[in-house]
Amino acid sequence: MKLPLSWLRDYVEFDLTPRELADRLTFSGTEVEGIETIGGEFKEIVVGEVLAVDKHPNADRLTVCRVNAGSAELTVVCGAPNVRVGVKAPLAGVGTVLPDGTVIKKAKVRGVESFGMLCAEDELGLSKDHSGLMLLPDHARPGQPLSELLPPPETVLELEVTPNRPDCLSVIGMAREIAALMGKPLRIPEIVLPESGEPVERLTGVTIEDNEGCPRYTARILSGVTVGPSPAWMQHRLSCAGVRPINNIVDITNYVMLECGQPLHAFDYELLEGRRIVVRRPRQGESLQTLDGQPRAIDPDMLVIADAGRPVAVAGVMGGAGSEIREATRTVLLESAYFKPQDIRRTSKRLGLSTESSYRFERGIDVGGVEWASRRAAAFMAAHAAATVAPGVVDAWPTRAPTRRVSMRYGRARDLLGIDLDDAGMSRILRSLGFDLTVRDTDCDATVPTFRVDIDQEADLIEEVARVHGLDKVPAPAPAARLVADADDRPTRALLACRAALTGLGLTEIINYSFLSERLLSFVGYGSPEARLVLPNPISTDFAVMRDSLIPQMIETLGRNRSRQAREAGLFELGRVFGMQPDGRPIEDDRLCVGLMGSVGRTGLGKAQAVEPEDVFQWMKGGLEALCRAMQVPTSRKGGLSRPGIAFEEMSAPCFEPGRAVRVFMAGEPIGVLGLVSERVRGEWRVADPMGVMELRMEPLLRHALDVPAAKPVAPYPGVERDVAMVVDDATTHDAVLACMWQVAPPELVDVRLFDIYRGKGLGEGRKSLAYSLTYRSMERTLTDEAANAMHDRIKAALRQDLHADIRES
Amino acid sequence: MKAAEIVQLKEQALDEARRSGTAADVEAVRIKYLSRKGVLPGIMDGLKALSAEERPEAGRRANELRQELTKALDDAKNALQAAERASGQKRFDPTLPGQWRGLGRRHPITQVVEEAIRIFSMLGFTVADGPDIETEYHNFDALNTPADHPSRDTQDTFWLGPGLLLRTQTSPVQIRVMESRKPPVRIIAPGRCYRRDTTDATHSANFHQIEGLYVDRAVSLADLKGDITFFARQMMGADVKVRFRPHFFPFTEPSVEYDFSCHVCRGRGCRVCKQSGWIEISGAGMVNPKVFKTVGYDPETTMGYAFGMGVERIAMIRFGIEDIRHLYDNDVRFLEQFG
Repeated sequence: MKLPLSWLRDYVEFDLTPRELADRLTFSGTEVEGIETIGGEFKEIVVGEVLAVDKHPNADRLTVCRVNAGSAELTVVCGAPNVRVGVKAPLAGVGTVLPDGTVIKKAKVRGVESFGMLCAEDELGLSKDHSGLMLLPDHARPGQPLSELLPPPETVLELEVTPNRPDCLSVIGMAREIAALMGKPLRIPEIVLPESGEPVERLTGVTIEDNEGCPRYTARILSGVTVGPSPAWMQHRLSCAGVRPINNIVDITNYVMLECGQPLHAFDYELLEGRRIVVRRPRQGESLQTLDGQPRAIDPDMLVIADAGRPVAVAGVMGGAGSEIREATRTVLLESAYFKPQDIRRTSKRLGLSTESSYRFERGIDVGGVEWASRRAAAFMAAHAAATVAPGVVDAWPTRAPTRRVSMRYGRARDLLGIDLDDAGMSRILRSLGFDLTVRDTDCDATVPTFRVDIDQEADLIEEVARVHGLDKVPAPAPAARLVADADDRPTRALLACRAALTGLGLTEIINYSFLSERLLSFVGYGSPEARLVLPNPISTDFAVMRDSLIPQMIETLGRNRSRQAREAGLFELGRVFGMQPDGRPIEDDRLCVGLMGSVGRTGLGKAQAVEPEDVFQWMKGGLEALCRAMQVPTSRKGGLSRPGIAFEEMSAPCFEPGRAVRVFMAGEPIGVLGLVSERVRGEWRVADPMGVMELRMEPLLRHALDVPAAKPVAPYPGVERDVAMVVDDATTHDAVLACMWQVAPPELVDVRLFDIYRGKGLGEGRKSLAYSLTYRSMERTLTDEAANAMHDRIKAALRQDLHADIRES
Repeated sequence: MKAAEIVQLKEQALDEARRSGTAADVEAVRIKYLSRKGVLPGIMDGLKALSAEERPEAGRRANELRQELTKALDDAKNALQAAERASGQKRFDPTLPGQWRGLGRRHPITQVVEEAIRIFSMLGFTVADGPDIETEYHNFDALNTPADHPSRDTQDTFWLGPGLLLRTQTSPVQIRVMESRKPPVRIIAPGRCYRRDTTDATHSANFHQIEGLYVDRAVSLADLKGDITFFARQMMGADVKVRFRPHFFPFTEPSVEYDFSCHVCRGRGCRVCKQSGWIEISGAGMVNPKVFKTVGYDPETTMGYAFGMGVERIAMIRFGIEDIRHLYDNDVRFLEQFG
């Protein structure tokens, strides 16, 4: 809302600069978003009278004018369409600085010298109007300073009024705030209403068919009006408040609305069938053309103002074209009413039509101020539109809401705010805001004024005390740590530990949106389309589906980075995925996704070496194992090997290379997938080298993260290393070798390391050579060579027998 | 071997040590005299054959031999190494790139969240969580939001079906926590939120908030101010100022908005703070008694404060990020700037 300060001063005195006032308002709950100055001193700008207008020799749209500047005659090149001999307009001579900082210089315009500028309103910062020269009245004298002809500059505050405070959507409402803040009296204008002629009851009647939608409706009749321009001061105030002046009748209704917050409507009485008002729901098939010329279909649950026959206005939103004020209007029916906020909000939304009027009604206006506004407007019409005011007012207000009373305990207010303000100080604040108080020993009863629609409990009154007293006077003590006995921070600590482990592995965290495009999902082809959660009202097709996996966006992120020339990336995301169960209940699950691209698993000069699919797979697996160790995923085999208890099972999905994807199991429970992205998918981003992704469920991964491990003793004796190299079938897996060893392994076997794999000539087709280094170590003694050899021989024997391994003896 | 012979042998050994030209020579001398099967162990064995008068002197000389030769060999080795270093043959190029698997980085949003968790942990807050897919009841009704409040419009909220939506704020976690436990409650709830905002430099349809809730028998607006101020100084630096402005939220009464002084210009006014010297962070207030009633707390014996904060906003200020979209673009060049 725009608040012109000179207008404000009609109702309250204050000795503050605009900046200081803005701060006071901002810190009492009405945020001032801007301070604007309309108009200016215009020291160097004078009245110029156009003496002659010639066509510009080199430009069709320009003219060359002789201008009488009072003390001299100047040649000025002008582009305004309304320039002609005899008009008077603001003239900015050479050296003048315009409000926007432009300095007028002597200049050649298309070859003709110009010694100044004739101005439009926008160039002077008076309005946005650039349609032509600002024409000055005939009595303006050439050379006269423009400031003598214009109102003094006006400062306007741009306010953001919170939705709970519709009473602040008016100049008087803001004056009341300032009066309370400054401890000054509020001056409500006295209204002297000259009434004569036939009483209003004989001229019109009001029927409210829907008393819930319209609790109060008043009508006044003003006859003999002369429709014409409103007084200049009124037009100026309206312009400053951002409302376009139209004619005296409409301007007065707008002026009073801005002044006290009550929207008013003026009907042409003669155009009302039956000369009366019916407030009702529309009948089947009724429609209305509103003032803006639009035909409006009106729903049965909207509220309309009708005459004896047809609707003439959409209640509280906009009047109808059929009864609007015309130049020929002689008698006005002035509406001032209260409509139910929810109805107006619904109607305004349905029609897609928001007006100054609907904006106020839907927030809640002052039901007690309806008649005052009508009287105020009638008095202005008598004064400025030659109206004769019919005695009395039709005031249909069948059911008055009971007066609201709210009590407040002073001690409770002090406790809740943590301030030390005495009872009297709080009472003073509440009274200054218009509350009537009955004060008792420790509390008070406040009668809530009708304009305060937001107050209905003790806390609301305490808030009034806080904001007027000043939040800056509330202390900000050093915090006191207070512990909640059974508070559990384990899930958070587990998550933090997991993230620390992932960054420790060299992976960088990404965060993607929770929604993505259907296109990306189907293109990647992972997850189950039938369980997807599709947004009914997405902002765009790019964000239309809730993600059911982190994999598609991970692939896209890697791909996007590659298209930005990133050679490699090792990324992770910890995020939530979503789905819909068959019964319509939503599913949410927290996941971890890891993505690798390029030579991430190598360092330094090794990075130049080409990346094979096996490399990426093993980096992924290595990362997974390291993460499992950090997360204390229980080991599944005999103690010595200390391998995380994870297992893999080959799987396939359209986004993975065939044969290069596995499902990951933890203690027999499936917890995710790990695989290499198929060429089809990564090709979308022109990624030619292998790309790996892995997605795991967080819950099983974090289950043991905070377990406290029990220390195991470390052997004090040296270990003995023995190698074994063997040729086996290519199909024999590393796991099979380990399993075979562990079957016969003595407790002294503490470590098995694969150190070479070889396939090639001399081994024969379908064979490979594997070389392992085994460490034997006893907790009781130093192993002798003989003892170690005996153990090693038993293992070799088992390998020969179970795997048909050809053991190479060195 | 008698003492005199040992002395003679010592001179010979020291001479050999001194004349060693390479590390291998030095080692050969060591093996010849000092190894298990070398000269010195032989002399030690031979001491037994000497008479009681000769033995102490010979033993002393043999020890001298060991000590002096050991020292001479060390000296020779050091001298050789020094010569080698001086000759530059084994010098490495310290300007070659280092090689180590690097550390990964946490996302700036996460860093702010983790930092907030750290700060509020000091005050005894623990983290609470809630679903992203919320009921209308938890997201609006229980938070005292009127049925026709504009924030419920499909224009602003992602509705999934009747009564089901993507949460527009982390405030529903307040309700879930209060429904499930009795006071005192002291939690923060970081999480994702969703609003149908058109994406631009400062708006994102998907964003993060941190909710805070403290409920006990006596909690005041002053406590809220003190705790938020403490948070601001921990997060932004000791010289940051915090100011509170009255505002309106349906679920708090009184409600405030709070601003941090601009860290870029230190409050003098700059582009980042739009010349105001202040940056709006978020809203807070004293829990509305109507909310207490809804969750079954007695508003007469319970007080509490609640606050929200925009994580992206804080991250943008903390790291000087001028466009929120950078946070969701996941460009590794961008992400690798943050520790």
